[in-house]
Amino acid sequence: MPTTDPRARLHADLRKTAGASALHIVLTVVAFCLFLPFVWMVMTSLKHLSEVGLESWLPGERGFQWGNYAQVLEEIPFIRFYVNSVFVASCVTFLQIVTSALAAFSFARLKWRGRDTVFLLYLSTMMLPGLVMMVPNFQIMIYLGLVDTLSGLILPAAFTAFGTFLLRQFMLSIPASLDEAAEIDGASKWRLFWDVILPLSRPGLVTLGIFTFMGTYNSFFWPLVMLKSEHKYTLPIGLLAFDSSAGQSTHLLMAAVTMSVVPMVIVFVLLQKQLVKGIQLGAVKG
Amino acid sequence: MLTGLAFLAPNIVGVLTFTVFPVVFSLTMAFTNWDLTQHNRFKPDASIEFVGTDNFEEMATAGESFSLDSKFFRFLGNTLFLMMGIPVSVAGSLFAAMLLSRDLRAGGGRRYLWLLAGAGLVAGCAVMAVLGMGGAAMVLLLTGVAGGILVGGVTLGQTFYRTLFYTPHFVAGVATFILWKKLYSKETGPINQALDPALGALASAVNTAPAPVVGALPWLAGLGMLWLLSFALGRMKRMWLDGDLGLGAAAMPLALLSVPWAVLWQAGLPGAAGWLLPIGAGGVALVHGLRAARAQDRFPGRSADGFGSAFMLATLAMTGQLICLGLVIALGRLPAMAADGLEPPGWLNNYSYAKPALMVMAFWAAMGSNNMLLYIAALTNVPPALYEAADIDGARPFDRFWHVTWPQLAPTTFFIVVMATIHGLQGGFEMARVMTEGGPAGATTTLSYFVYQEGFETGRLGFASAVAWALFLLVFVVTLFNWKFGGGYADD
Repeated sequence: MPTTDPRARLHADLRKTAGASALHIVLTVVAFCLFLPFVWMVMTSLKHLSEVGLESWLPGERGFQWGNYAQVLEEIPFIRFYVNSVFVASCVTFLQIVTSALAAFSFARLKWRGRDTVFLLYLSTMMLPGLVMMVPNFQIMIYLGLVDTLSGLILPAAFTAFGTFLLRQFMLSIPASLDEAAEIDGASKWRLFWDVILPLSRPGLVTLGIFTFMGTYNSFFWPLVMLKSEHKYTLPIGLLAFDSSAGQSTHLLMAAVTMSVVPMVIVFVLLQKQLVKGIQLGAVKG
Repeated sequence: MLTGLAFLAPNIVGVLTFTVFPVVFSLTMAFTNWDLTQHNRFKPDASIEFVGTDNFEEMATAGESFSLDSKFFRFLGNTLFLMMGIPVSVAGSLFAAMLLSRDLRAGGGRRYLWLLAGAGLVAGCAVMAVLGMGGAAMVLLLTGVAGGILVGGVTLGQTFYRTLFYTPHFVAGVATFILWKKLYSKETGPINQALDPALGALASAVNTAPAPVVGALPWLAGLGMLWLLSFALGRMKRMWLDGDLGLGAAAMPLALLSVPWAVLWQAGLPGAAGWLLPIGAGGVALVHGLRAARAQDRFPGRSADGFGSAFMLATLAMTGQLICLGLVIALGRLPAMAADGLEPPGWLNNYSYAKPALMVMAFWAAMGSNNMLLYIAALTNVPPALYEAADIDGARPFDRFWHVTWPQLAPTTFFIVVMATIHGLQGGFEMARVMTEGGPAGATTTLSYFVYQEGFETGRLGFASAVAWALFLLVFVVTLFNWKFGGGYADD
């Protein structure tokens, strides 16, 4: 009930403000605690070697050492790691979206004998832990001569049952009357796929794309066993190698860590609307 | 038929090559003695042979006979230990989501909040002045960060905090593992630098405090343990009486609740605590059991009902009890330890502290994770009418949570816990590889790291495959479980 008495309104305002203030303070404290490691990371990356490990988080008399970043770039081909990671993740994402969308269309919109049996087989492979496949897949890679190549990272990740499943569920929610309309217009199945279903599946494609890109960009196990030469390293493997070669130079290590974390934060801030929606959608469908 | 297959072809060729074939291959390998140190081009005579279930037998044996000390069971134990962080993380995510879902706007617009942010900054500066100029630069830095967060939150609202909460999860990976390795460093890590003076003060406080006060501390922790047990049992009894929890569904939560007491029994506490605490627990269980049995009007329900709620409650209570048990033991030893002066441990290099250290880090990354986003979405779907009805009934905040929010979120919670369990069973590889290499003395080796060690370091491909399949069986059991008890949530 809206009240017109100014004193009562002020009272209500103040109570609401007090509640909101308390909430803001709690949220700030939690966010602050979660953020402390990053503050330490950035500050340490700007310290001089002789000041690393001192109690003060800030650089001391030697001042801010922006040169640490240049030194990291000199010591390891950091940019190269980025390029490799982004290249592999982009290729996997592209291939996976294409192959999954085609397969999902076949499962969701076409009728053919044995379709449901094959789909059940697809579903059952989703339950298998990736770990089961690692050992034999590595033997396959040796056989194909793809060990220590970027193609060896891309190929096994490009075809998944999960992507097919996600997109099939999405395509099932598109009304079937569209197919009939297209058929009456004399459109081929390909036209139906390309001009009708694919554009309508965009949110699903975006979700799958984001999941796949992030997953591949961060993947660790497979690149770790596959890559041997430094110029082919992806970012996580390059960081791990730098950690074991320069583990004592905490300031340089933190500079490298900062350089790998900051771009991700920027990407997240830019894409967060899409991402959040995608995650919430993916959980419902997946 | 042909069109269908044509659309399917690119994907199915890949899936057959890189999923189906490896699966068959791997299953075959699991029954062979394939070992790269035995079977390679330098030893043309050695051949790979089928060895039946030898690999699986080796997993379960240490020496000659079946033993829980075998590597496999030890590493399974490590994995399960690390997974105890899951309920805490889920609770953290729910807490964060509930905070973020509240109305962050103040009455009368934002101007009050600006005043608040200003007051926060002034308070920060005051803290700085009080602490003196010695650490001034650092206090200024931290106050600046906190003030910045507050101002950002006041201006941008929920999205701003959500972004900050989500960041640790989003960037989690090798980079943050390296960061945390440095944070945990024994000599130069900021965690120990902050703990050192605090522990020094604690030691002198313990040394000067009267003995009965110090002696009472473990008993307080013990009481906490009993209270948690009583709370969880009481809630479950209530649910059972209301017909919300069936006996079938209650079995596993009850078993979980008894785990800390089994651990206590194993640890064999010295002194009176060793028998008083178990007796207390027995008493608590007996009282709740009798009350439940003597209740007249039980609302009938199905046997599998309410599993999700009871399970979450029991896992949380179990974790809380285990923490209390740890406190009982640690506080019992405190006087002796304080006499020599307390020092912070070398977290990742210490057998007892390595796993908890990893769990703290995992919590940091998991609190604001996808689970929080899912909870935020689920919270917006709770019908406001339910809260209004609760308010009319005069519900206290806890009742509002327990009788409205929690049941409404049950499907989300169930989904999150099942997914986290499946991931948890296969997890821990990255942390172990980057931060501890599975050590010290195998304390942080999980099953996935075990597969890596055997398959890619020692080259025992057959054995590694067998371990991977054993892991699959565990995941499969969880999935079946999901089908059995998750069915009730499928319609939501």
